[in-house]
Amino acid sequence: MKIMLKTDKIKFSYAQDEILKGIDLEITKGSFIGIIGPNASGKSTLLKNISKTLKSDSGAVYLNHKILNDYNSIELAKKMAVVPQNTEINFNFNVYDIIMMGRHPYQKRWSGVNQKDKRIVKEVMEVTDTLKLKRKLMNELSGGEKQRVIIARALAQKPDILLLDEPTSSLDINYQGEIYDLLNYLNQEYDLTIITVSHDLNLTAQYCEELLLLKNGKIFAAGTAEEVLTEENIKAVYKAEVLIKMNPLSKKPFVTLIPEANRVKKNKQKEFRIHVIAGGGTAKNFLYKLENLGYQLSIGVLNIGDADWQAAKELGIEMVEAPPFIDISENEIQQNRNLIKKADLIILSDLPFGHGNFANLEVLLDYLDKPKILFSNLDIKKRDYIKGKAEKIWNELLDNDKNIYLLEDRSNLISKIKNLEKQEMER
Amino acid sequence: MKDNKKNIFIYLTAVVFSLLLIFLALFIGSSQINPADITAFILNSKQVSASTAVIIGEIRLPRIILAFIVGAGLAVSGAVFQAVIRNPMVDPYIIGISAGAGTGVMLALFLGIEIAVLNLNSLPAFAFLGAVLTVFIVYRLARVGNKLPVLTFLLAGVAVSFILNSIMSFLMVLRTENLQQLVYWLMGSLAGSAWNDVRMILPYFLTALAVILFYLKDLNILLLGEESAAHLGLNVERTKIILLGAASLMTASVVSVSGSIGFIGLVVPHIARMIIGPDHRRLIPLAALFGASFLLLADTAARTVMAPMELPVGIITALAGGPYFIYLLRSKSKNIW
Repeated sequence: MKIMLKTDKIKFSYAQDEILKGIDLEITKGSFIGIIGPNASGKSTLLKNISKTLKSDSGAVYLNHKILNDYNSIELAKKMAVVPQNTEINFNFNVYDIIMMGRHPYQKRWSGVNQKDKRIVKEVMEVTDTLKLKRKLMNELSGGEKQRVIIARALAQKPDILLLDEPTSSLDINYQGEIYDLLNYLNQEYDLTIITVSHDLNLTAQYCEELLLLKNGKIFAAGTAEEVLTEENIKAVYKAEVLIKMNPLSKKPFVTLIPEANRVKKNKQKEFRIHVIAGGGTAKNFLYKLENLGYQLSIGVLNIGDADWQAAKELGIEMVEAPPFIDISENEIQQNRNLIKKADLIILSDLPFGHGNFANLEVLLDYLDKPKILFSNLDIKKRDYIKGKAEKIWNELLDNDKNIYLLEDRSNLISKIKNLEKQEMER
Repeated sequence: MKDNKKNIFIYLTAVVFSLLLIFLALFIGSSQINPADITAFILNSKQVSASTAVIIGEIRLPRIILAFIVGAGLAVSGAVFQAVIRNPMVDPYIIGISAGAGTGVMLALFLGIEIAVLNLNSLPAFAFLGAVLTVFIVYRLARVGNKLPVLTFLLAGVAVSFILNSIMSFLMVLRTENLQQLVYWLMGSLAGSAWNDVRMILPYFLTALAVILFYLKDLNILLLGEESAAHLGLNVERTKIILLGAASLMTASVVSVSGSIGFIGLVVPHIARMIIGPDHRRLIPLAALFGASFLLLADTAARTVMAPMELPVGIITALAGGPYFIYLLRSKSKNIW
């Protein structure tokens, strides 16, 4: 792998404040690097040192094995393009003129625009989807369109490496994705080396191949998103309690902040264990409440991808899961039984029953002695999609089980649980 | 292509209008001269009386040419200042050039110095020295290391302006007999212009203009912001210093003969920008034409409306141009840049 950019122990200070305390980097050609870190960790300063906007106090930056300071500004502009954080353009140029300015390093003072300039500008306008904006004035554009134009101008420089400082910080969420999709495309299709600085951990994790986590002017962690974004790292660098989940679509880690209130509760977990049988999003609302109240929860068997499955995943609830669209297997039923055995209370939500999850209902017949709350706000007949089989079990339960509490009104759930908990504790 | 046709039309109109103005200004004035004689003088077709030849050749013509140079100079340097400092409220006087020139004039009057270098009037010479010295001081004050932060440059200019204005006021209080002369100078006037004045400022004006024209493209890049400009391969600090230096020299040279004529340097660049857009390769020549013809028009009015009395032309530029500018602002209120 060819090394594109390398830094050797670069240090930088503003007056007395040492911002960068010796950064060593090696960035190979065609990589897509995301620099993250809290405010004042030095991430923007690092980018400015790499782009020669600031001159390092000591150490050196090498671009294509040549020391950065040996490049004159024109040479550098042909190799490296930068999209700075503040790209506000007050003057009312049209989009074409702005992008054509990207050809500045290639143009002689008096020579006009040549065919090659025109061809390249048209090409980058196509790639960035700004061709339709060609004649528009800059202040007529939306935030996302402006950013695409600025990126197009950077591409018109025909750089080997593109640096972007907070490219999406002022954009709405739809434009954020659009900009990163574009960067991803440029990286994949043109083998363009890209370095972004961002405070958005999740966006960076989703798109960048490699992450660089800075803390107090030093590299704290480097590697793939999975390696860098761990609960321990985030806690050490940001002093924040987070939950790292897996984004089901991109299979990349996803950081969620745990609110202060939940953090306190987590430490005061109750002894009382509740097992929930649900599905189709019938439980997700009360799962959050129960988790907040500190109950020990388990849930099963849930189909992967189901709304309740997602909620349970987010909350980190102990769970038995099964692939969707097929019947629950023997193994999964057994796992579910193990969880039920440990529980002090079983909650059966108002879920519909089909072939796939019939076993979830049937299993209850084996635990007639356990307290149960059955949601009865919806008639079982309406939820029975297996020709009365579910209804039959339901009635059998009602006839034989002395520990059943039918819950007509869902809003009474918490008070009911609290009552049962009190009885259990007194026993 | 449509844009190009429009731009050619705008330029043709401006050039034709300027030429018409020059002829108009030659024909009218406080002394009544037969238009046939004037035409004859211009075409050199028949002998005219000596007095007519003097009025046209030695009084009206140099004044017209000077008005053209001064108007163009103020508009061009105003446009450069606005672009480099990236602030629409800036005019060439903001960094203390007119205060410096005024102080120079006041000092000359106060000390009663009459220097006659190369037959030059001492007042313009002092004004020029005052202006150049001020720019130099402001530049030294604002410079940090080898950088020139524009905000510091501006603020240093404003501070130096204030100091010089108080010195000027103090001298005015001490010496009241020359007050009218000074007040006229401060309000700006082209009265009494001669070929000498043109000869004095022309070299500086042309040098500065050549430098600015050489850097027009860089001026556009600079508009993107200093950081972006640097990433496009522009040597920002050098370009800034050269452009500010050239614009200051241009202002100093024209102020030294005209006094501080207000309004043109601030507003004419805006008017030109509204008409032709922000690209300096098109903007600067148009601003020069507009500034020149506008000052010529105002000066012609200044010497004729209350003839034989002369009004300070600065009064007319602001009175006539102000309402027009407000009209443009209202009709294009979205973005004045």
